[in-house]
Amino acid sequence: MIAAIALVVGIVLGLVLRPTVPSWLEPYLPIAVVAALDAVFGGIRARLDGLFDAKVFVISFVSNVLVAALIVFLGDKLGVGAALSTAVVVVLGIRIFGNAAAIRRHIFRA
Amino acid sequence: MTSAPSQSSRELTTAYLTDLVTNTLDPGYAAAAARRRADPRSTWWDRWNRPAVAIGCLLIGFTVAVAWVHTNRGAPAAARVHADLVTRVRAAQKADSSLAATAGALAGEANRLRDAALPSDGAVRSQLDRDELLAGVTAVTGPGMVVRLADPPRTTPAAVGGRPGTTPLADTAVLTDRDVRAVVNELWHDGAEAISVNDVRLTPTTAIRFAGQAVLVDFRPVTSPYTIRAIGDRNALETAFVDSAISSRYQTLAGARGVAFSFSQADHLTLPTSAAVAPRYAQPTTSPSATPGPSR
Repeated sequence: MIAAIALVVGIVLGLVLRPTVPSWLEPYLPIAVVAALDAVFGGIRARLDGLFDAKVFVISFVSNVLVAALIVFLGDKLGVGAALSTAVVVVLGIRIFGNAAAIRRHIFRA
Repeated sequence: MTSAPSQSSRELTTAYLTDLVTNTLDPGYAAAAARRRADPRSTWWDRWNRPAVAIGCLLIGFTVAVAWVHTNRGAPAAARVHADLVTRVRAAQKADSSLAATAGALAGEANRLRDAALPSDGAVRSQLDRDELLAGVTAVTGPGMVVRLADPPRTTPAAVGGRPGTTPLADTAVLTDRDVRAVVNELWHDGAEAISVNDVRLTPTTAIRFAGQAVLVDFRPVTSPYTIRAIGDRNALETAFVDSAISSRYQTLAGARGVAFSFSQADHLTLPTSAAVAPRYAQPTTSPSATPGPSR
């Protein structure tokens, strides 16, 4: 409950403040979004599995964002930026999809 | 991220991809649950559970909203810049054409005043008319031939653009300044006396250049199709042109690349005038009245 409220508050804050994203941060934004979505779906699934742990949730989100950003940063510096961004999106996308399927099984029993 | 104790490091390396697809939940959750089962006592962390989740969710929501706003704000800004540039280009074009009209009107006025001042016949007058004709500062009419060159029609409607700032190969023009120049030079060679490209009259100082995607004739951009009009002895012009290597080259291109190429005689062509450019540095070596200089 508190998580949903905080999520809504965060979205409203983002929509109201409309912060300008500095250009050096721009390449990392899509990666951060995918990592954030992965954390949300993972958290919901863990909650439904009865395994939810706040510490794991927060630390996995923060570290996923940081590691994804580091991979993209390294890729940019080494000239394989687009490929490594794709790798991050593919891995996190698979996880999101799998977790969404698990949530679906929990909710619909199918 | 911590891996579950049940997973050996060998499994992680060999079957990582299978694991990635089948075991999508962060292994940290299972590990934490196992730890809690083994040791159910509350730890110092437990009182921070709710604030931590709240802050995490706040951050996630904020990130998603910022990304949304950022993505959707960029497009209108780009469209605004584009519209602004289009407005400026249109304004510059309008200013250019109005200046050209003013220049034409002033030149006409100057010609009228000069005609009034000069005797209507005589050596000076005929010399002036001839020089004006050669310099291309007076509109001319006469028989000749017309050569038409056009880029092949675009088959792909240029959907994806690759890296920003580049032009896909399919979008580049096949015909460039070289082609226009080749035809013009061939026509001069074949005896043309006055030439215009898309209603831009060629003068002794006219350059045919290429800038970006446009052919510049006398610094004015012209685009495909290119219509090159030449005044001269139309039969001699056409015969010489048909025989030329240029003509056969573009016939071949027309078959192979879809370039439109055609030419025809014309009984009556009218070529426009060009704005006179007064030489500022070039001085006659002798008095012009003493020696008329080599004529064409």
